[in-house]
Amino acid sequence: MTPRGAPPPSSGSEVLVAEDLRKSYGPRQALQGLSFSLRAGRILGFLGPNGAGKTTAIRILTTILKPSSGRFVVAGVSSDQPEMVRRMIGVLPESLGFPKEIRAIDYLTFFGQLYGRTAAEARTKGLALLEDVGLADRAKSPIRTYSRGMRQRLGIARSLVNDPVVVFLDEPTLGLDPRGQRELLELVRRVARRAGVVLCTHSLSEVEGVCDDVVILSSGRVVAKGSVAEVIGIAQGSNNGRRVIRIHVAGGSAEEVRRVLGTVPSVIGVTRLGEATGWVGVEMVDQDGAGPSVDQESTNEVLDALIHAGISILSFESEGGNLQDAFLQLTEGSIA
Amino acid sequence: MSLEQSVDVPRVRSRGEGRPAWSLVLSRELFELWVGGKAIVLVIIYSILLGVTAFVTSNNSELELIPPKELVFMTLSTAIAIGLFIGLVTGADSISGERERGTLEALLLTPTSRRQIVLGKFLAAVSPWPLALALAYPYLALFSQGGQAWARALLWGAFVGSLLTLAFAGLGMLVSIWSDSNKTSMVVALVIYIAFYIPTQWAGAAQTGVTGRLFKRVNPMEAGNHFLEKVLVNNRTLAEFWLWLAAPAVFLVLTLGVLFVYAAPRIRVEAWTGDKRA
Repeated sequence: MTPRGAPPPSSGSEVLVAEDLRKSYGPRQALQGLSFSLRAGRILGFLGPNGAGKTTAIRILTTILKPSSGRFVVAGVSSDQPEMVRRMIGVLPESLGFPKEIRAIDYLTFFGQLYGRTAAEARTKGLALLEDVGLADRAKSPIRTYSRGMRQRLGIARSLVNDPVVVFLDEPTLGLDPRGQRELLELVRRVARRAGVVLCTHSLSEVEGVCDDVVILSSGRVVAKGSVAEVIGIAQGSNNGRRVIRIHVAGGSAEEVRRVLGTVPSVIGVTRLGEATGWVGVEMVDQDGAGPSVDQESTNEVLDALIHAGISILSFESEGGNLQDAFLQLTEGSIA
Repeated sequence: MSLEQSVDVPRVRSRGEGRPAWSLVLSRELFELWVGGKAIVLVIIYSILLGVTAFVTSNNSELELIPPKELVFMTLSTAIAIGLFIGLVTGADSISGERERGTLEALLLTPTSRRQIVLGKFLAAVSPWPLALALAYPYLALFSQGGQAWARALLWGAFVGSLLTLAFAGLGMLVSIWSDSNKTSMVVALVIYIAFYIPTQWAGAAQTGVTGRLFKRVNPMEAGNHFLEKVLVNNRTLAEFWLWLAAPAVFLVLTLGVLFVYAAPRIRVEAWTGDKRA
């Protein structure tokens, strides 16, 4: 799906390029040099704690705000042509409201016409989109009869009426139940087959589940960007060779685990995580800086030592090995 | 390689087909006003007020022997005062209401120019006025007592009332554009209305002297009323009193000028971000 009259972007081509975007509100710098690119068919997770500059960034990229400096390009159209940019993008704002008395199909037809379609074209497009988002059977229902999940799906349909090259989805799953969240994320994946998607969310599991790339903002700065694996790697690499694995042991006390692991050279500390949970944190250090493969070996060494000491391991996880840990580490001190 | 060269999607074709955006916005606004019920409620309230005013006036006239022309003028004056209030209130809800309901951002994210959005909303805001005037016709005809005073009243009432309603609807929209909440917008609009309306109720003695006469001339509502009174009740001509139309006309030009030239292109998702829109 591309703007009217334009061929589809070739898969993998850059559809959104931001270059050193900055925004100041008086003396306060809300955004300090945002640069990234998005390729067609990929989903970019836009993360950051409250006040990190996400909303400012999204509003700049959707032409609602003007940057203090820097620029961006959407499918070859520069940000100094905001009306042209608006033709190329679709947006689901965080707090999107709907006129309650209007029927869903009329709502989509109205927006389709605002993008220059004739009434018949806009209606046909609207019906197709309602089919795509699973609302075809409710096309003629007033929007006031829609549930929150249905409204979100209708909002996504609205963001696609102009066949955008880039779609911005701001907290699309906010307020939805788990089933609604799962269905909506599936819809986001389908949208990404047609366009590049920027997904702005606080749910890190969502990002891990659907996003190809991530940009993490903190205090207006980009603290990490790249694929999800790369960002997790960045966080792990910033630990100065220290890392922690969490182990859930059955019946074993922290004292016993500490005694057993006292002989393992890479272990520098063992702490109990909670009183009666059976979880212990094992802090290790990469002794020769040899990197991830040695990390894995030392983890095996720790687990091996516990098993040989007769301590049953129920489960274990590596701290910093998922996006949530990476996020908390990279944005430490700036959580609002 | 420049940023523009790094992508391979040609620019989208310019808008050129389909209906103009202002007419689309107008259609949607009319639907929301008239089918959604806001305008219907206002017009019903207007009808009741006009009916009560006409009833009280006609009763008094029997006691005080008010001539038919004066009855016609008083009814028309009331119709205009309420009609332009409807325009003001509808205008005051137009942007801040959308802002509050979260529907404004979606509209601003389309490639439609802000002026076209404002034009569509403005025309919808003044849409109750023709109906309000039409609803006043039976009373005007009744009070004319078989004479032709209603015809002159309708003609001049339509003219002066339109000047004032357009201006006040525009003023309401300006307030709405600069208000973050609908409540603020409505309160400010009400205060503005009262500020213009109260002087029209002052006794004649309060409007003597240079200051009094100046107030009377510069207040568009008061000046319009004075013009209608002279033309409808005293049978004076347009040539004699056209200067009294200056205040409503200037007020209209100023309001719409500020609305369409200055405020419309600067509509934001939030009224006061202290920031510029792209």
